[in-house]
Amino acid sequence: MLPVLSADRVTKEFVVGGRQRLVAVRDLSLAVHEGEFVCVVGASGCGKSTLLNIFAGFIRPSSGRALLHGEPILGIEPRCGVVFQSYALFPWKTVRGNVEFGLKMQGVPAAERRRRAEQFIGLVKLSGFEDRYPGELSGGMQQRVSLARILAANPEVLLMDEPFGALDAMTRQILQEELLRIHEHSRKTTLFITHNIDEALILADRIVVMSARPGRVKAELCNTLPRPRHIDIQLSPDYARLKSTVWSHVEQELLRQMEAAVSLA
Amino acid sequence: MTVTESPSEPLGQAAAEASPRWSWLRQRAGLAIKVLSVLAFLALWTASTELGWVSPIFLPSPAAIARQADKLMHAGDLWEAIIASSRRVFLGYAIAAAVAVPLGIVMGVWWPAKAVMDPFISLLRPLPSITWIPLSILWLGIGEGQKTMIVFMGTWIYILLYTVESTKRVDPLLIRAARNLGASDLAIMREVILPGALPGIISGLKVTLAISWSCVISAEMVAAQTGLGALIWFAKDWGNLALVLVGMAGISLTVLVADAVAERIEWLLLPWERHRRGAT
Repeated sequence: MLPVLSADRVTKEFVVGGRQRLVAVRDLSLAVHEGEFVCVVGASGCGKSTLLNIFAGFIRPSSGRALLHGEPILGIEPRCGVVFQSYALFPWKTVRGNVEFGLKMQGVPAAERRRRAEQFIGLVKLSGFEDRYPGELSGGMQQRVSLARILAANPEVLLMDEPFGALDAMTRQILQEELLRIHEHSRKTTLFITHNIDEALILADRIVVMSARPGRVKAELCNTLPRPRHIDIQLSPDYARLKSTVWSHVEQELLRQMEAAVSLA
Repeated sequence: MTVTESPSEPLGQAAAEASPRWSWLRQRAGLAIKVLSVLAFLALWTASTELGWVSPIFLPSPAAIARQADKLMHAGDLWEAIIASSRRVFLGYAIAAAVAVPLGIVMGVWWPAKAVMDPFISLLRPLPSITWIPLSILWLGIGEGQKTMIVFMGTWIYILLYTVESTKRVDPLLIRAARNLGASDLAIMREVILPGALPGIISGLKVTLAISWSCVISAEMVAAQTGLGALIWFAKDWGNLALVLVGMAGISLTVLVADAVAERIEWLLLPWERHRRGAT
């Protein structure tokens, strides 16, 4: 079956400081299938956000191709909806205005827009906050709005770039649980970037561990933990086993990265 | 462990404030001190003039100024002067905003436009508006058009610079997010760049409003029959110092009213910034 989203030997180089080249991702290949929730984990600076930006069409690969339904992604791709770490809400729009934005761009009539926005605001449990501005909300609530905004626009794929990275541990856990609930309901194809192994284990069907820079796929692990899942899954022995496997892969890469840093110094 | 004690989600506003009663008390105390400070200053002024420490030739007493103001208001001259100056400010400022805001937005989003304008702005910006008085009189005579032009020349560049800067400073992440949600170029302009730049443009307009008043006053001092600037200049020629001070007070109060109106307009136009300003 053709994957929904795939990277075919993608390499991305950046020019830093005038002429020095930095290879963020090299020869990376990856496929995400219909309805799958894939988490990409890796140390900071391993190029995982670069990968997501390539899938979103924000940046173009230096070589190789990023494909959506087998067709190359050439520009910013509204079919791949992005949830940003820093929320990226429009401060001048109310919660309702933000959630309606994608529908408005699609030309959905106002009454229908309002109805659908209300539905998604309810889904992320923000009913009653429709007329508030983002600046009046906490970080956790803002990220819920951003999630509702992208879900209302109904893209084919969700790209999530460390969406809960800026939240405190407790709020993060609550949002992970809500994302689990929403995903199990909608089964939307999702690529989720994180450096938090627990987060990956709780959310993913499949975990992709990235190598240290230049990033490539170091290991792919099927997350066999049963669904529907709950945060309590962290207490099971299977969880602990899987976590130690993922950690050993990540650890190897971290050590490699440190050695590289030492040899450079 | 992932579960730690963490504060429940506050609503952002008011969370920082220690206690509402304390802040209410402080506001009241602040107001009382302001009133007292003005009264003490007036008392000192009155004392120094009434007791003969300062000659009334150099500084008339507050009571003399009040009598002068009362007389002028009864005759209607003060209102006439205020209205004449306000009309010039409003016209020159409105034309400057109508030209500079759209131009600034274009320059902010499209670099060739900025490149075309930049050299002229660099040359024109250092010129104080009064340096335009000779040319403006030559071109437009000494009527209303000339005063309007002085206000225009003194303000449009500032409005332009504020607008360019605020347009360029719109968060590129928001533009990215909007495109990701399917926005076209036109929609980005309307839904992201304009509202994103608006707070900066409005604060630029507010700063420029005060500048526009100094422009009109200097233009009126050089060549005008009406307006607060002319009033002050005539009073100087007649040796009526109280009238000079009435004119100065008239300028201060008029600009304060104009600022208050501008604040109100800003409050209406930027509903999303209200919660942040609420405290001040």
